[in-house]
Amino acid sequence: MRHRLQFFLTPIVAALAVSSGVAWAQAALDLDGHAVNPLTAEAGKVAVLVFVRTDCPVSSRYAPVVQQISQRFAESATFWLVFPDKSETPESIRKYLAAYGYRLPALRDPGRVLVKLSRVQIAPEVAVFDRNRRLVYDGRIDDLYAGPGRARPAPTTHELEDAIEAAQAGKSVARTDVRGVGCYLADLP
Amino acid sequence: MLPCGFAVNSLRRRAMVLLAALLPVLVTSAFEKFACAQSALRGTSPAAHPGVKVTFNRDIAPIIFRYCSSCHRPGEAAPFNLLTYSDVKKHARQIADLTRSRNMPPWLPEPQEAKFIDEMRLSEAEIDRIERWVEQGTAEGDPTDLPPQPKFAEGWGLGQPDLILKAEKPFILPAEGTDTYWNFIFRVPLPSTRWAKAIEIRPGDKRYVHHANLLVDRAGAARAREAEPGAGFGGMEIRIETQVFDPDSHLLFWKPGTVPAPEPEGMALRLDKGTDLILNTHLQPSGKPEIIQPSIGIYFTPQAATKFPMLLQIENDRELNIPPGVKDFLVQDDFTLPVDVDVMGLYPHAHYLGKDMLAYATLPDGAKKTLIHIPHWNLNWQAVYRYAEPVRLPKGTVVSLRYVYDNSEENPLNPNHPPARVVGGNRSSDEMCHLWLQVLPVNFDPAQGDPRMALQEALARHNVEKNPGDFEAHYNLASMLQAKDNVEGAVAEYQAAVRLRPEDATANNALGAALVAAGHSEQGVGYLRAALKARPDYFDAHYNLGLALAGENDFAGAADQFRLALQLEPRDANVEANLGAVLAEMGRFEEAKVHFEHALTIDPNQPIAKENLEELKKAMGGR
Repeated sequence: MRHRLQFFLTPIVAALAVSSGVAWAQAALDLDGHAVNPLTAEAGKVAVLVFVRTDCPVSSRYAPVVQQISQRFAESATFWLVFPDKSETPESIRKYLAAYGYRLPALRDPGRVLVKLSRVQIAPEVAVFDRNRRLVYDGRIDDLYAGPGRARPAPTTHELEDAIEAAQAGKSVARTDVRGVGCYLADLP
Repeated sequence: MLPCGFAVNSLRRRAMVLLAALLPVLVTSAFEKFACAQSALRGTSPAAHPGVKVTFNRDIAPIIFRYCSSCHRPGEAAPFNLLTYSDVKKHARQIADLTRSRNMPPWLPEPQEAKFIDEMRLSEAEIDRIERWVEQGTAEGDPTDLPPQPKFAEGWGLGQPDLILKAEKPFILPAEGTDTYWNFIFRVPLPSTRWAKAIEIRPGDKRYVHHANLLVDRAGAARAREAEPGAGFGGMEIRIETQVFDPDSHLLFWKPGTVPAPEPEGMALRLDKGTDLILNTHLQPSGKPEIIQPSIGIYFTPQAATKFPMLLQIENDRELNIPPGVKDFLVQDDFTLPVDVDVMGLYPHAHYLGKDMLAYATLPDGAKKTLIHIPHWNLNWQAVYRYAEPVRLPKGTVVSLRYVYDNSEENPLNPNHPPARVVGGNRSSDEMCHLWLQVLPVNFDPAQGDPRMALQEALARHNVEKNPGDFEAHYNLASMLQAKDNVEGAVAEYQAAVRLRPEDATANNALGAALVAAGHSEQGVGYLRAALKARPDYFDAHYNLGLALAGENDFAGAADQFRLALQLEPRDANVEANLGAVLAEMGRFEEAKVHFEHALTIDPNQPIAKENLEELKKAMGGR
């Protein structure tokens, strides 16, 4: 497990919160090009960022699962899809959302602000922030993939759901980071 | 009554040969153009020397173009393109990881002496080079170093096919869930027999089809499994019964990256009127519903086959009884070849528990040859492997299988969580231990009959010895003995088959027919009636029962059976001729004449009808 410096994290988030709404070049953008800070929205809820790539089959295969989990926790958690690839246009993302039946709000993260904040490395990975916007989990959604090209018949662990439940209850998460199987975000332009 | 009686046509020996027929097309893929370019570069790359910075254009592009681009391009199976620097850079670390772990390019066999066509195996040096390129920051390099972009055939790989068949109805692959297996039936509309030199499989959207096998169904046997004609049907493994000894001969297979190639000279595939081709596909969900509608393209040749290979199915599913938690469960089989053969290619097969799969040959002089060794089996990348040069195995060679299965929790692909006992079977949650070898008999004396029958007989005998409870083995052994006119031997084996499945229509019919042929009509009648009890609309059994009753001088009973047969197949000249014969025996000459004449309108050369009609005319005084 990675060593965590959680006491640094909160101020960084706070700094981001302050700067949201300011059109600084590095901010995450919605599909209309407005700077958005997903961590200042819906303050009473747990926040979940789902990092995806349109060109990653493992990432795409999770679309129905992510959509279902977001519905299951609709009352208590707010979900955002994050596309870190600079070369993705709002149009290409809208097309992708429609094809895969996503109904979640989507953000572009060309400056990797959310990627850095979330410590994620792979698409698909998720970051779960509690109501205090403390990062409580980053990593895979579940263990469907045991390795590249090695999908189980069904997942046997459910890290994302466990983390949301823990964050809701104010409990600590058993495993705070479990790396996913998929495509590296660092390879992206 | 006529002095010598009427000749009754010979027994219809529609003995079925039950071949568990998986029938892949072996398609040789060809990347020749790049093979040449690459071989010049191999080992000579300046980046082979430490300290020299690795660049995409000079060091990496040749590897990517040769091993990756054929699938990683628009319209092909891979999920993203790998054709340009920016394509490759966007997946650079992933490529370094997946090549290091040998997940990519997908190539399961270990290197061995008997080489396969189109081996997709990177050298350690190539893997190191990719890794260093990523570590050093994925430099693009000098544009003049970049080799030309690979060229690929657009559309059909072998040009416009002579006949294109599209699946009548698409299959809608659900957005989520586990692996799906779907079968499409292509009804080949041929008025008469043609020979195919190649069949190209276009599996629909290649990104979601993991692999596909094309099976030849000469009897329309699979149609019964469709809910409605053209709908297709589910199922991972399918079996096809054939009416006569007509062994499967070609490995017709598609996997990502397959480039179609014609069958070897003289080995065209026969397609008859009424032949169906069944495409068995393995599909994986993508996250959204996908429409899967495959096509096949057939390339005909006027050259009938002159060489007749056979698919030899070596298996030992009966030994598959794997307790939960066992990590190294070994299943083996050893089969001795009764004739000299050239092995053209092979198709090893297991399901999700398969781990290490080895097949080797021990030649009569004791020398051992590895046929294939897959140390890390992955069902998803299963393939047909064709040898660059056929592997000659003389008579007396022992072909050995050694497959190891992992039914522990450590096997992530285990269909059961927690692990449960797994046995042999056709469902994806069952296991299989199969090896199909495409063999071409050589050095045989044609006067001694079809050498493939010797192979089939030896294999059936081997399976009967291994497993006296193997219905198909008894049945197939009986068929081969019957074909050699060893009627007593055939009767004994059919009896063993009927004892194992007392209500099996096919086995009862075959046993009944064999008994009648051996002169035991009375005994035969009982089995033929049992066949009809199991399957009342069984044409062959009605026909054979008619002959058996005629042999017992029960002409009225025989006539009834022939009439029932005619209700099922109204234009069968043999039945008409035989019905005429029994009616003539009963003195009903006018009726008999009508049936002889009807037989001759269907087949002007029907010998029984011709002969009997002349006799009848004499008996009727020239009327």
